[in-house]
Amino acid sequence: MSGSTRQSGTGDRAEAPRRTTACYVYGILPEDVEIDEEAVGVGEPPGRVTVVRHGEIAALVSDVDADRPLGRAQDLVAHEQLLDEAAAEVPVLPLRFGAVMTTPEAVVEELLAPHHDSFAAALKQIEGRAQFVLKARYAEQPVLIEILTGNAEARQLRERIAQLPEEVTRSERIRLGELITQIIAAKREADTQAVIERFEPFCDGVVVRDPSHERDAAHVAFLVENDRQADFTRAVGELRSEWGDRVEVRLLGPMAPYDFVTT
Amino acid sequence: MTVAVPPAGGGGLPGRSSGSGLADVIDTILDKGLVIDAYVRVSLVGIEILTIDVRVVVASVDTYLRFAEAVNRLDLASQQQGLPDLLSSAPQSIARGKSKGVAQGVIEAAGEKLQDMLASYADERPAPRARRRTREED
Repeated sequence: MSGSTRQSGTGDRAEAPRRTTACYVYGILPEDVEIDEEAVGVGEPPGRVTVVRHGEIAALVSDVDADRPLGRAQDLVAHEQLLDEAAAEVPVLPLRFGAVMTTPEAVVEELLAPHHDSFAAALKQIEGRAQFVLKARYAEQPVLIEILTGNAEARQLRERIAQLPEEVTRSERIRLGELITQIIAAKREADTQAVIERFEPFCDGVVVRDPSHERDAAHVAFLVENDRQADFTRAVGELRSEWGDRVEVRLLGPMAPYDFVTT
Repeated sequence: MTVAVPPAGGGGLPGRSSGSGLADVIDTILDKGLVIDAYVRVSLVGIEILTIDVRVVVASVDTYLRFAEAVNRLDLASQQQGLPDLLSSAPQSIARGKSKGVAQGVIEAAGEKLQDMLASYADERPAPRARRRTREED
């Protein structure tokens, strides 16, 4: 049985393990961007990041091995870090993780050239702005005490659960958890609205993200003009001290405007 | 406008200046940004992406049970400090506090006892700014 489908041909078996190189695309920037020689991106080993230009725009790309899966922690971080560092200096249209094309030429012919004008216009729009993400989360014990104190049903359920053996209180426990989730959702809605109203004056755009945790108080992306960054971060600091131990407030950024580019 | 982009730190999750963790990165770059499929069809390379789903299913039964458990622990921890008495004996004033909807209202309504308790909880907390839990692969 010679199913010898052995790549007939030149007997050039030095072609070691067949390796398909493809072109990973990070984002789109103005053509006059320069990239540091040492900038590396996704993949193992990490590919060197280069710039592919067309007209007024450019793409940040690097070679990747198309046969190896992407998505290790390092890959994810490399993607975001590269774009965020670029975004601190120039306008960037970030691509979602995992955009891979065949070659740099294809990037020009199929991505940059056909969409040149709309990308260039979008870059002008976000010029001088960067994104921040505010993540606020209720501290567990304070919020639970708040809820127990303010809700009679929750207190009754808690007592019943404490008095009876665990096996017979499953439905009470589920009801209590559901109630807590609902009350937190209402608090979240109110606090998210308060956050938006508070920061809107410093921002050119606001996007409310889905909560990423059941105790999220607010998860909001803001587009902030560079000139107003200082005012914005000062306002976040004020919010943080107002909320104190009740809510943990984190601010991520400046980063590329992931939430403000739309396909 | 000519700008040099500094190198991206090659490996691992070293101290990112913004203090964000892997979960934050995932929230952002797997979910947001331009989707290239919308622009390119021919030269796309289908590469396998190992996604790490850390999104919490909000409002699942697991979540409910976890909350109930946390409330239960809360009781145990505060038994000597009299939370049950305090709560059942002060429904009136508590209802007043409720309309304020913030910790301050709660504290005013429930009085010193609860205030002490809140303070002791604050002391027990291992760190004031606990980082978010991340399920880190790797």
